[in-house]
This record gives sequence, structure tokens and C-alpha cells, in this order.
Amino acid sequence: MSVAEIEAREIQLDAPSGLWSEAWRRLRHNPAAVVGFVLVGIFLFVAIFAPLIAPEDPRSGDLSRLGGVCCPGPSADHLFGLDQQGRDVFSRIVYGARYSLLIGIVSVAVGLSVGLFFGAIAGYFGGWVDSVIMRMTDIMLSIPGLLLAIGIVAALGQGIWQIMIAVGVTQIPIFARLLRGSILATREADYVLAARSVGVGGRAILAAHILPNSISPVIVQGTLALATAIIDVAGLGFLGLGPPDPATPEWGTMLTDTTRYLQSAPHLAIIPGVAIVISVLGFNLIGDGLREALDPRFRGRA
Amino acid sequence: MLRFVVRRLLLLVPILVGLSILVFLWIRALPASPAVSLLGERATPETIRQIERQYGLDKPVYIQYLRYVENVAKGDLGTTIRTRRPVTDELRERFPATIELTIAALLFATLLGIPLGFIAAKRYGTWVDHSSLVLSLLGISIPVFFLAILLKYVFAVQLGLLPTVGRISVLIDLEHPTNFYLLDALIAGDLAAFWDVIKHLILPAIALGSIPLAVTARITRAAVLDVQNEDYVRTARAKGLSPRVVDERHIFRNALLPITTIIGLQTGLLLSGAVLTETVFAFPGMGTWLVEAIRQRDFPVLQGGILFVSLVFVLVNLLVDISYALINPRIRVS
Repeated sequence: MSVAEIEAREIQLDAPSGLWSEAWRRLRHNPAAVVGFVLVGIFLFVAIFAPLIAPEDPRSGDLSRLGGVCCPGPSADHLFGLDQQGRDVFSRIVYGARYSLLIGIVSVAVGLSVGLFFGAIAGYFGGWVDSVIMRMTDIMLSIPGLLLAIGIVAALGQGIWQIMIAVGVTQIPIFARLLRGSILATREADYVLAARSVGVGGRAILAAHILPNSISPVIVQGTLALATAIIDVAGLGFLGLGPPDPATPEWGTMLTDTTRYLQSAPHLAIIPGVAIVISVLGFNLIGDGLREALDPRFRGRA
Repeated sequence: MLRFVVRRLLLLVPILVGLSILVFLWIRALPASPAVSLLGERATPETIRQIERQYGLDKPVYIQYLRYVENVAKGDLGTTIRTRRPVTDELRERFPATIELTIAALLFATLLGIPLGFIAAKRYGTWVDHSSLVLSLLGISIPVFFLAILLKYVFAVQLGLLPTVGRISVLIDLEHPTNFYLLDALIAGDLAAFWDVIKHLILPAIALGSIPLAVTARITRAAVLDVQNEDYVRTARAKGLSPRVVDERHIFRNALLPITTIIGLQTGLLLSGAVLTETVFAFPGMGTWLVEAIRQRDFPVLQGGILFVSLVFVLVNLLVDISYALINPRIRVS
């Protein structure tokens, strides 16, 4: 082996692993995060391949299958039993994953993009722009989240898009404040001053230096926001403000009338509830793991 | 300190103005116009115009807004559409119910959450710590309404231990001077009623308190772990104070700072959660009131109710900030 080769290897060994590869490595060694990935993996798999997994049409049922009672519980024919309209609960749960995933992702995308836009403006320009935007977030945060979402659905009318917007809007102020805070913290950092002193323009500094360094808390919050969004969507559905078509297999909506059948058919409440818990827990576990993995204070450990 | 409070109070003004504009505009954005919701779907155009004139809805929007602000300032929130009673009267019945429920939930969350977090931190890295973390994550991941249904199923339907609906048994006759039923029972000296009200509160309070419980336990754990490594704790140990005294005076008292903030921040969550919990237990509080109002497009109730809830929320946050400044002298300077 030549000296050059040995040196090359040493340099390679010494090269600091980047923030992301390091974070990924620690994430894989965190058992809780791994469980989170498994849960979310199941959730994604079911949502994507719903038509292949579900044995029956989730929307239409057959009352004659109930045999006059509500409602037959889990059996060999129907893994999760039948609901009060004679529909296969398993198929409804499987298709419900699609709605939760779709509504969750779109609403977080709405909240995240609008929130980041205003957060970036507020944090970068400061002054009166900052004050106006921050007072707006104060006002939005002064209405309890679910009430705000209910109010928006009431104004826009019921429907999947309206729910996405409603839940997304409730998340705007959180993302705006988060990004603003982390921009304010990085704006005064030495490397930003250095970039400014060599004449790099404002927009380039924002894009190349400030945003990349402010983004990790946003990613953590985004993951946790998915969990919150799924819960909020289910909450709206539970209150009867879900998708207007009663045949839609939305998890929260599936829980709405079940309290009436608690005595005879507890599975109608328990199964959709557990489905919500599993998916929400998955995102929470990943978010938590990410927070630890991306936090420089924890670096080098684990 | 006084300057701090005054400054925070001044900050309230733009928030309240913005909030009132928002709620006012929102009501106008609802699909059914107030006149239609008052008269029903089959109202003729003439009667609708009449109603609009009567309520001043034919005036320019800014005049309507000023009139509305004037009325709110006088404490007049209008009459409900459903019962035709003053909104403030119903508010007086509903609000204490939610407050009673929220306080019970907060008590459950803090009295259990703080010790849990403390123990977890003290046993850092052991199975006690791990299981408390898992439990608290699970607590955060369960939707309030699902937990409420589960509790109802186990304790009410299966075991038959606790009542499932309402605030008090129908058979109990109790005067309601304050509408805080626990207080009312005490005023009347009726212990049976007092116990009955408590029984009605237990399940909803546990359901509503579960998320705050999980959050409180986690924050307490993190705060205690943080404080434990501070120099002053080491000093206290080094000078030979007993572990208990160090725990109580040095660690716990300092860890209390972030805990108070977090508990304060839970109010919004509690108010949102109350809407769902009350629905499951048919608890006649603000939550069920507002949800009914949405379904029936009862706009005076919505307008007054949301404004009021938000006002309470903002005030609670202000109180949290002030108490925080009281506990932590460093905040006051900045």
C-alpha cells in the first residue's frame, strides 16, 4: 500500500459525516423510531394498496347480512366484523387509511408552505412586516385549534378539500413562528455575517445559508404535525363535519355513531380508534426520534 | 413588574380587535345568511329584507361591525336562534360546566404528571423511565374522543361504575346559583349531590386530561434532567444536603419553571379537547353548545361563544406569562 493510499484512507476516515447521514445513523439505532417507521410503513402500505387488500367494497353494504342484530363482531368471513349498515369494517378501515393519509399530508403541506412563507418573510425582513405577521399569528393562535377548524369548515362547507384547508390553516401560525424563530437565531450567526461581508445578496443568503440551517426544526415539526393533522381530521369527522358523503370510509366519521352500539358492538368503536392511534403513534415516534437525531446537543451519543 | 403587565395588556388590544373582526367576517362568510337561519329555508324575499333591516344587516359592513362592537362592549351578545334566550344567559350556564371540567382535567394531569415525570427522571434509563416515555407518547397519540369512548365503554357500560352522560343525575334537585355544580352543591350543603357531580366529572376529566398528563410528565422529566446537572445542584450535594432537600429545594423548584409554562400552554388544547369530550359524554358545556350552534347555524351563539372562548384563552395565556415573570426574575428585565 502506498503512502498516498494510506493518507487517502485517513482523510476519508476523518471526513466529518454530514448532519443528515449522522442523523439517519442515529435514527436507525433508536428502537422507538424504528417502531415508528414500521407503524408508518404499515399505514403507507395499506393506504397505497387498499384496492388489493380490501376484500369488499367499503362504501356499500348489505343489511340482510346483519341478521337483525347490530352488529356481528369479528369472524372468519369478516375480520373486523360488520357495521350497522352491513358493510365490511376491515375494508372500510383499509380504505380509510387512504383518506387519513391524503387529508393529513395535504393539510400539513398547506400549513407548512403558507406558514414557512410568512415565517421567512417575518424573520428575514423584521421591522413592521415582522410585527404585522406575528400579531396575525397571535390572533390565529388565540382561537383554540379545533374550534378554528370547525369554523372554517362551517364557512367553506363540508368536503374533503375544505377539511384539508381547515386543518392546514390551524397549523400555519406554528410553522410561521418556528421558522421565524430559527431565522432570527441564524441571522446573526458568524457565517451569515461572513457571507454578507463578502457581498452576497440578501436573497442568496436566505436561500443558501439561513434556510438550510433553519430547516431541521421544521422537519421535526412537520412530522409531528402529520400526527396532529390525522387526529384533527378524525375529530372533525367524529363531530359530523367530515366528508359529506356518508359512505366515505373516514376513520373519525366511523366513530361518530358508535357510542349508541357500545353495548352490543364495541368493535365498531375500538377498531377505527386503534387504527387512528397506530398511525398517529407512528408519526409521533418518528418525529420524536428525528428531534433527538437532529439536535446537535445529542450528537456523538447513541 | 407593573410595566411588564401593562405592556402585555396593551398587546392584548390588537389581538382582541383582530379577533373580533375575524369572528365578525367569519359569520358573514357562512353559507346561510343570518336572516335565512332566523327565518328558515322557506322565507320569502320580503320577510328576509324585513329581518335584514331589523338587524341592521342592510347597512354597510363597517357600520355593522361598529354596532356589533358597541353591543359586545355593552355585554349584549344578542339572542339565540334556537331558544330565543339571551346568549349571555346560556353562556352563564355553559361556561361554568366547561371550566369545572377543565379544572378537573388539569388537576388530574398535574397531580399525576409531575410525580410521574419526576420519578422517570430520577430513574433515568431504567425500565421505569422507558415505560413512562412510551406511555406518554401513547397518551399523546390517542384522540381525546376515542379515549373518552373507551373509558365510557369500560367503566360505564361494562363495569357500570360511573354515569355516562350529563353533569348531574336527573333525580337530584339542586339550586344553581353559580352554575358551578360543585359549588352549588356545597352552598346547598348537599353532600349526596356533591358526590354525584364528582362521579359525573371523573371520566370526562380523565379523557380530557390524558394529553396534558402525558405532556406534563414528559416536560417534568426533561426539566428535572436538565436541572440535575446544574452547578448549583452539585454544590448543594457537595455541601452535604440530604438528597431529599436537594430534590425539593434545588431541583424541583427550578424545574417548575418550564412545567408552569407548559401547563399554561395546554389551555388551548383543553378547550379544543373539551369540545370532543363533552360530545361523547353529552356534557352540557361550551363544546356541545358551540357544536350544536354550528349544526343549526345559530350565529349569535357562534359569534358570542367563539369570541368569549378566545378571550378566556388569551387571558389565561396572559396570566401564565405574568406568573412566569413572577417566578423567574430574568424575564422581567428583557
